[in-house]
Amino acid sequence: MRKGWRFILVLLLALMVAVAAAGCSGQKPAGNSQSGEKPAAGEQAKDEKFKVAFIYVGPVGDAGWTWAHDQGRKYLAEKLPWVDANTYMESVPEGADAERVLTELAEKGNKVIFATSFGYMDYVIKVAEKYPDVVFLHCSGYKTAKNVGTYFGAMEEPRYLSGMVAGKMTQSNILGYVAAHPIPEVIRGINAFTLGARSVNPNVKVKVVWTNTWYDPAAEKQAALRLLDAGADVIAQHQDTPGPQQAAQERGKYGIGYNSDMRQFAPNANLTSPIWNWGPYYVKTVEAVKNGTWKSEDYYGTMKDGIVDLGPFSDKVPQEVRDLVNQKKQEIIDGKFYVFQGPIKDQSGKVRVPEGQKMSHEDVLGFNWFVEGVEGEIPK
Amino acid sequence: MVGSSLPGPAPAPLFTWEKRLEPSRVMAVIVPVIAVILALGVGAIFLAATGFNPLKVYQSMLYGVIGSKYGLSETVVKAIPLMLAGLGVSVAFRMLLWNIGAEGQFYMGAFGASFVALTFPNLPAYIMLPAMFVAGIAMGGLWAVLPALPKARWGVNEVITTLMLNYVAILWVDYQVYGPWKDPKGFNFPLTAPFSKAAILPTIAGTRIHLGLIFALLAAIMLTIILWRTRWGYEIRVIGESPRAARYAGIKIERNIILVMLLSGALAGLAGMSEVAGITHRLQHGISPGYGYTAIIIAWLAKLHPATIILVSFLFSGLIVGGYSVQTSGVPAATVSMLQGAILFFVLGGEILTRYRLHFGRKEGK
Amino acid sequence: MVVPLVEMRGITKVFPGVVANDGVNLSVQAGEIHALLGENGAGKSTLMSILTGLYRPDGGEIYIDGQRANFRSPRDAIAAGIGMVHQHFRLVAPFTVTENVALGLKGGLKLNLNKLAGEIAALSKEYGLQVDPQARIWQLSVGEQQRVEIIKLLYRHARVLILDEPTAVLTPQEARDLYQTLKKMAARGCAVIFITHKLQEVMDAADTITILRGGKTVATVKKSETNEKELARMMVGREILWQVNKPAPRKGDKVLEIKDLKALNDKGLPALRGINLAVYAGEILGIAGVAGNGQRELAEVIAGLRPSQGGTITVAGQELGQCDPCRVINAGVGYIPEDRLGMGLVPNLGAVDNLLLKEYRHPRWGKILLNRRAARQWARELVERFQVKMAGLDAPVKMMSGGNLQRLLLAREISTRPRLLVAVYPARGLDVGATETVHRLLLEQRAAGTAILLISEDLEELFRLADRIAVMYEGEIMGLVATEEASVEEVGLMMAGAKRMEVSA
Repeated sequence: MRKGWRFILVLLLALMVAVAAAGCSGQKPAGNSQSGEKPAAGEQAKDEKFKVAFIYVGPVGDAGWTWAHDQGRKYLAEKLPWVDANTYMESVPEGADAERVLTELAEKGNKVIFATSFGYMDYVIKVAEKYPDVVFLHCSGYKTAKNVGTYFGAMEEPRYLSGMVAGKMTQSNILGYVAAHPIPEVIRGINAFTLGARSVNPNVKVKVVWTNTWYDPAAEKQAALRLLDAGADVIAQHQDTPGPQQAAQERGKYGIGYNSDMRQFAPNANLTSPIWNWGPYYVKTVEAVKNGTWKSEDYYGTMKDGIVDLGPFSDKVPQEVRDLVNQKKQEIIDGKFYVFQGPIKDQSGKVRVPEGQKMSHEDVLGFNWFVEGVEGEIPK
Repeated sequence: MVGSSLPGPAPAPLFTWEKRLEPSRVMAVIVPVIAVILALGVGAIFLAATGFNPLKVYQSMLYGVIGSKYGLSETVVKAIPLMLAGLGVSVAFRMLLWNIGAEGQFYMGAFGASFVALTFPNLPAYIMLPAMFVAGIAMGGLWAVLPALPKARWGVNEVITTLMLNYVAILWVDYQVYGPWKDPKGFNFPLTAPFSKAAILPTIAGTRIHLGLIFALLAAIMLTIILWRTRWGYEIRVIGESPRAARYAGIKIERNIILVMLLSGALAGLAGMSEVAGITHRLQHGISPGYGYTAIIIAWLAKLHPATIILVSFLFSGLIVGGYSVQTSGVPAATVSMLQGAILFFVLGGEILTRYRLHFGRKEGK
Repeated sequence: MVVPLVEMRGITKVFPGVVANDGVNLSVQAGEIHALLGENGAGKSTLMSILTGLYRPDGGEIYIDGQRANFRSPRDAIAAGIGMVHQHFRLVAPFTVTENVALGLKGGLKLNLNKLAGEIAALSKEYGLQVDPQARIWQLSVGEQQRVEIIKLLYRHARVLILDEPTAVLTPQEARDLYQTLKKMAARGCAVIFITHKLQEVMDAADTITILRGGKTVATVKKSETNEKELARMMVGREILWQVNKPAPRKGDKVLEIKDLKALNDKGLPALRGINLAVYAGEILGIAGVAGNGQRELAEVIAGLRPSQGGTITVAGQELGQCDPCRVINAGVGYIPEDRLGMGLVPNLGAVDNLLLKEYRHPRWGKILLNRRAARQWARELVERFQVKMAGLDAPVKMMSGGNLQRLLLAREISTRPRLLVAVYPARGLDVGATETVHRLLLEQRAAGTAILLISEDLEELFRLADRIAVMYEGEIMGLVATEEASVEEVGLMMAGAKRMEVSA
């Protein structure tokens, strides 16, 4: 029996090599994009298209982070008919696999590759070195190269606004925050949310629980339930699924979503959600690359640019709160209000940003401390 | 049960059954072929039903695995940890020790190697790499001996203990990368600082294939020699085939439980070491996407035979690597997982079928 | 003449290679307790399996109340009022007594457990079967569980009750209670059949006795018209061939000495209750006894595979420590275990590996690496010398016939030139030729000065080979006789535990 199996394995391997050899020799003259293409009629036209690919950390159906990026991809495909944006890779782990997937996408003739999670950073830099003609855009990182740009948005602005909503709606004055990884992006959001909440309700405390995962519906929900047990009556989140919102709904409490409008997942709980709107940025960037005007940059879009926004309010939110929030939103867009302006105290009560000063963009990007009112620890 | 009160040879009905079924040796070859074809067939129906051209999908899968030098090299890269962990569990399985803990031993091996690399970053490569090698093996081995001791002393079920220790090992590594070993420049992301150049395994130029491949091949050769050419290997085989006969022959089973688990864990630890030193060049959260568990399937499918484990590891690696490639033809990740599941199901199912028929066939052949 | 309740005529049942029943007749009247007496393998269990519909006979007829019966399954037998209490109870441990009785009852889905419990209580009172209907099976003693099995049969209105070695698991007190119950049942018109090989039990409880031997009916006798001695003779009394074509023993030094040896069986119950034995070089000491009386445990303790609870074992003046097979092997003890394939040999390994089993530590094969080529050559020689037939030196030994397996096993154990050879049922299941070979090899060893401890159930074998015969019964040596002075009746009586003899030999 063992012999039989070994024989078959050898046979299979031989078969694979044979097919590959045939594939290689037959394919070389045809050009570098071979597999997965539709045959015949469409081929010519398609090959001329400008290929753009995306790699995602979660599945496109996560209803959160990856879904929002995928909406952007669809928007891109719709707005720019000369772009082939059909290629995306889901659920790519932020590890050794990412390097292969990026290489493969570059190998397949994609001109622009969007890598939409922080953990892809080093692999993007590594692969980009080998493919200088391909433009890589890495979301939420901090390393750039000649053909690598980063992009992100001032999520702190809608976070601040959502904090105001939560601060107004809470009864217990305890807000819960389900947070993914203790990295500056997340810390920044927690701080903005807390500042927003305390601007309308100085007694509010924000309890933080780390899940150490971006995408894990069960773990996220569990973390939210723990916060609810601890007395929180509004659950905010920096997670990729609506799990925490559903937890709030189960307990008859409120929730603030993230990434996309999450009202449909927890209609009785969700108040509003800070949301991403990547589409316009993707269109702008791909056009720039095509036109040869693209340069490596750290793009950090704001609410004014439209890349971030506060999603629609649920009907649970009273008109006076909406008015208050909308007024502040206008101030932000008009540049009259900046989220991280002094005075800001840290958890110990020490003033970290004096009155009248603003935090620098670098400091905001590297946030590694909590503002006053946050209950929780950043693992050191 | 029916014949249990009778003297004489085995129950009769099986014999007659056996006679009617007389599978030739050809069956042993045909059944796996049919299994693969069936798997691909069912996968094709599924793909077609969800609106994809199965041929295109299979083509892109195959192309991703072996269609280019890069794809081929990546298949090798992915196979390395599978081979080492697979060889590791196979020795334990051969002695009927159900070491489900290769995953944890992998993590501890990675931890041990990282400990050396991070604590003494200035060592020269010729000291650094051997030290990491030893540390990886030692930690992996230690992690397997931990459940081996209660098993040998009190017969504590090793399935439970090895499995549980997986979680401990994963959380221990998590603790390190979220805590003390976190890269200060890593913006709080769960990664250690990158290793120094000296702590990186040499690779074949232009690919990510690293020295771990040699480790795996040598380990397979070494295991073959141990099992079939040494006194120790003889003891392992006798215990595995019949613990009662082993006891009867005066073989020290308890001592062998510990030694074999040590070897088993050391190999899985070596897989972890070569993964951090060869691929990631740092320790990080989620360093193994379940290599230790896949290794169990590989070991079984290969009938615990070292050379076959090397081959089957390539097959599995191809399945994983090809799975990502398929996504480029627009197939969602979930569909890819189902396809992989279907292939595994049929191959494993077919394998069992072969074994049973052949089992009868051999007796018949005599 | 009264029509018997059960009559079996000319029952024949053949299993591959074994004729288990060969024209067996059995006739049981209502109201009597009928003992089915015979050695292990005499065909008692097979006969009862046929009566309960588990097996179908290859020949013969069964009549119940004079009506021809044809049982296609146990269900048919139960419907005809035949029930059996097996040696291993068929009860569901987590269920209560009532629930166990209810299992398998006909009558749709409706189940009135309270009513049933009341009926059980009434039955148990009537027959003196004390048991709490609400108790769960796992809480009950073995004796109580047996009562539950009996109640199950009574509740199903069984008229023929079959009990397979019912007292094997009982204390003497429980056994006496059981006899009372059986008598009550017989008094109410049931027929009770119990399978046994213990004479004591027969004399205590039975009215009529049918003796089976080698698959055939020897006789059916009334208890009042027979005695233990006659029964023993009928049970074991083959025509013993007294042809002792073996040389007189050249009795040498004392090789094995066992003093006051005690040990437990797998269930933790005493299996050896103070054994004293000595075996001398150049002699064969036979151990007779019905299987399950401590022989296996005795062999295992000597081989170092089972811890002793007291006493000492000395081989050639060297005391063997506690449970260390390696030390026993080094002391020069060869061991042919009862379980050839599984303990004595490794089924999936080839002949070379199997021959190496006790030999591989020897430095001549190399310190770390095993010199396979030398081992193979050595194995080939042994195989030729002992005329073991096989497909190849590396083919799994499980494919070999029983006789060849035993030759291979003997080849290994003898090739090490042991001081002491312990052989347990060495010829069991072998055909005449293979048996002959095994006997020849054992006698050769005896001639070569090896001390041999031969454990066997086969009196013919013992009388032919052994110089002295010790009889084991319930963990004790009932007596020790020199073969030429012994009679089959005497040994048979001791095997059945009927008589304790003090014979010095």
